[in-house]
Amino acid sequence: MIPPQAAKSLRISHVGLRGVVGSGLTASHVLDFAAAFGTFLEPPGAVVIGRDPRASGVMIREGLLAGLLACGLDAIDLGIAPTPVIQHSIRRRDAAGGVSIGASHNSAEWNALKFFGRDGAYLSTAEAGELLDIYHLKKFAFVDWTRIGRVTPEDRAIDRYLDDLAANYDFAALRKFRVLVDCCNGTSSLILRRANERFGTEFILINEKIEGVSFAHEPSTTRDAVALQLAPLMKPLRADAGFLFDVDSDRVALAAEDGTPVSEEVVLPLIADYLLPRAPGKLIIANLSSTALLEEIAARHGGKVVRVPVGRQAAIDALSTYRPEQIALAGEGTGAVMMPQFRFVYDGIASMLAVLSMLHESGRTLSQVLGSYPKYSILKGQVPLVTQRIPALLMRLRERYSNGRVNVLDGLRVDWPGRWFHVRVSQTEPIVRVICEQRGGPPKELFEALLEAVGQASWPVPW
Amino acid sequence: MPREHLLKIGVSGIRGVVGDFLTPGLACAFAQAFGTYVGAGRVVVGRDTRSSGEMLYHAVACGLLSAGCEVVDIGILPTPTIQIYVGATRARGGIAITASHNPPEYNALKLFNSEGLFFNSYERGELLDLYHQSDFRRATNAEIRRATSDYASAPRLHIDRVLAHVDAARIRQRRFRVALDAVNGAGSVMTVGFLRDTLGCDLHAISVDPTKPFPRIAEPRPDTLGDLSNLVRSSGAEIGFAQDPDGDRLAVADETGHVLDNDDVLALAVDAALRRLPGDVVVNLMTSSVIDEVAAAHGRRVYRTPVGEANVVEMMQAVKAVIGGEGSNGGIIFPAVHLCRDSYTGMAFLLERMAETGEPISALAARLPRFYRKAGQVAYEHGRLGTLMQALEESFPGVETDRSDGLKLILPGAWIHVRASNTEPLLRMAAEARSEAEAEELYARVLGLFV
Repeated sequence: MIPPQAAKSLRISHVGLRGVVGSGLTASHVLDFAAAFGTFLEPPGAVVIGRDPRASGVMIREGLLAGLLACGLDAIDLGIAPTPVIQHSIRRRDAAGGVSIGASHNSAEWNALKFFGRDGAYLSTAEAGELLDIYHLKKFAFVDWTRIGRVTPEDRAIDRYLDDLAANYDFAALRKFRVLVDCCNGTSSLILRRANERFGTEFILINEKIEGVSFAHEPSTTRDAVALQLAPLMKPLRADAGFLFDVDSDRVALAAEDGTPVSEEVVLPLIADYLLPRAPGKLIIANLSSTALLEEIAARHGGKVVRVPVGRQAAIDALSTYRPEQIALAGEGTGAVMMPQFRFVYDGIASMLAVLSMLHESGRTLSQVLGSYPKYSILKGQVPLVTQRIPALLMRLRERYSNGRVNVLDGLRVDWPGRWFHVRVSQTEPIVRVICEQRGGPPKELFEALLEAVGQASWPVPW
Repeated sequence: MPREHLLKIGVSGIRGVVGDFLTPGLACAFAQAFGTYVGAGRVVVGRDTRSSGEMLYHAVACGLLSAGCEVVDIGILPTPTIQIYVGATRARGGIAITASHNPPEYNALKLFNSEGLFFNSYERGELLDLYHQSDFRRATNAEIRRATSDYASAPRLHIDRVLAHVDAARIRQRRFRVALDAVNGAGSVMTVGFLRDTLGCDLHAISVDPTKPFPRIAEPRPDTLGDLSNLVRSSGAEIGFAQDPDGDRLAVADETGHVLDNDDVLALAVDAALRRLPGDVVVNLMTSSVIDEVAAAHGRRVYRTPVGEANVVEMMQAVKAVIGGEGSNGGIIFPAVHLCRDSYTGMAFLLERMAETGEPISALAARLPRFYRKAGQVAYEHGRLGTLMQALEESFPGVETDRSDGLKLILPGAWIHVRASNTEPLLRMAAEARSEAEAEELYARVLGLFV
């Protein structure tokens, strides 16, 4: 059997290229992927690139530039920049595409490349498939010496992005809030420090130092991460709201003013609650693992939830099957939210501003807003994977829980009134994820039973 | 169809036509092998002005960083300047991204050790093995080091080294009128500063825009320097200098616009060096015997090596030579500045000799012992060199021979040399004698052996 860690320290897929630098992700992967992207885009044109602060980003940037220039594309280099700013700059500079170097919510030893098209959005599955084919074929369209591309740096990207945010949110009104932010040593500090200078907002930053090797804590946007440093500081600093960003600022998590760490599941319903009244009857695109609170919020405002498989690619493909004006928002229960006014890119900063605007307009505190929602309890677990046993496991669970409403779009989800579970294989780690949610208290019995059933299928290894 | 070497990976490094042949992936992998070989420390990277240089810089930096090296980008600079900086800053090694005198579609990596010298032949072999094994060091996030830049200090270092060996005040006093053709190469900015500001010349320069392509054939030879000759005549310059794209080679025009023979330029530099410092001389097998006579006049010895800068440098180190070089390609190596071909030392030596003697450069050249050379080349076919060498040796029975690089026949007051080029599919042939007629006759005898 392949050791699970080795098997998953590099993943090349429709989402891009992702791995542990050194053991999994190497310079030659980066060069080949960059050349494939350059071949895919076809010169002339420019590609906007930026990176998160991981030390390996310096190496990956060099390889990315070499591959793009060799294919005859120019590069616009934003340096260390948040992913939503990179996506914003693609449209602003009328570039042919963009690449974000950064492993988002993963720990420091990981890195990844995310590819964006001309509109600044993620590649569709069909486009990403073509990119992968070029990568695997390794026949790259390198140009001759007269047409090789050039690099130009760009340092106004964050200001132009803030201009766009200011057109959508009333920064002057948000000045009254004292907002505590855990930057997790990532790129959000670059935006928020500048916002304070320009708009007089009061974002108080912790873990704001840009750091390449060791982050203050795991950069995941979860309640557990919020509970580490952000939540305990809320009351002492008399903050009105607390936010935690992942390293490249596309995801966000929350702490309430009373020091309560908020479940990552609540970010999407909260923003839905803010946006749906202005977009009555519209759709929310969410994955099968996200909280059922969404359905309740949607019902309050006459909206509807469309459930899709887990993963960014499924959400992107689902978005493309609706007219943009049909959609109120899209996202996952990980604090990653896309809004139509930001052209459907995951944007943690815009998500934060939506939450603050909601507090401003409603005149309520975050804990008051959250207190008005029915209580849901979600339990999440994971079990190491034995790949060949998964189909049989899913079939057995499906038979055992056949009294519920079954959805097999992505693993197995079964719904009962006020209760559901989802068992699926992770796309990023060698594990089976088990998620269980119940209106009211935690569904401990169901959760334990599922973990046991999945655990039996996982161990011992048959040889 | 003639064979073209569109890509060559060997003990001299990696060199090829950029695009489908010399790809960023190959450059990155070679740099990764280099970084693995020299170890996780600072590695200096510089380049000439080729349009592919920026792209290849990023590929090389990627390979070095992934091998755990710290990259110091020193930008567009002459190769000798890069080498001097590597040695002076005690880096682990250095890479110059340049195809030297090759056409603009080519590029290459020149690799230097921690002293800023070409790797010796044994080191080059080890590095090539490492490249082929592909067993590179792959640094993790915590091991990856930074990339920094230092664009300012290398030219200063280099020029200060040169100034330590010439009387700059004396040169400045003369306010020489000088013409320059820098081929829009790596010397474009630095050479203008050196001649005009440091040596106080009245400079008339062409092709000193590093953002433009090479306006002439990149190799500075009498037949490629028409523009320099014209500039010398139109500006009334006392001397004209031409560099190649990476500023290691030098060609010289006299005050009439006549481009001097490169062997004579080396001979003038050898004379200038031996006036300053005691020691011997190293040149390659194809360099003119004028060097032997100039050295003999100073009571010094000349050592001969196979063709190639690395070979000359290796021998110069071994015999602690004070000056050396390769005549045909305009390479002057003065170890007191650095053990590398250096056009700046050459320019300074010639200007100083003119200042010392008060004579025009044509008169200094005319005073050199007179030799006549005839050289040419034919397309290479495998096996051809061996049979040619056999026939050549048989037609000159009993003559002293040197077989260290092809075959050199040493005749009284004359020589013949045939060898295969290292970089192109060519057989190179040369003959030298004290009279033009004899040189022609010897050369014709070599050509006759091909029939």
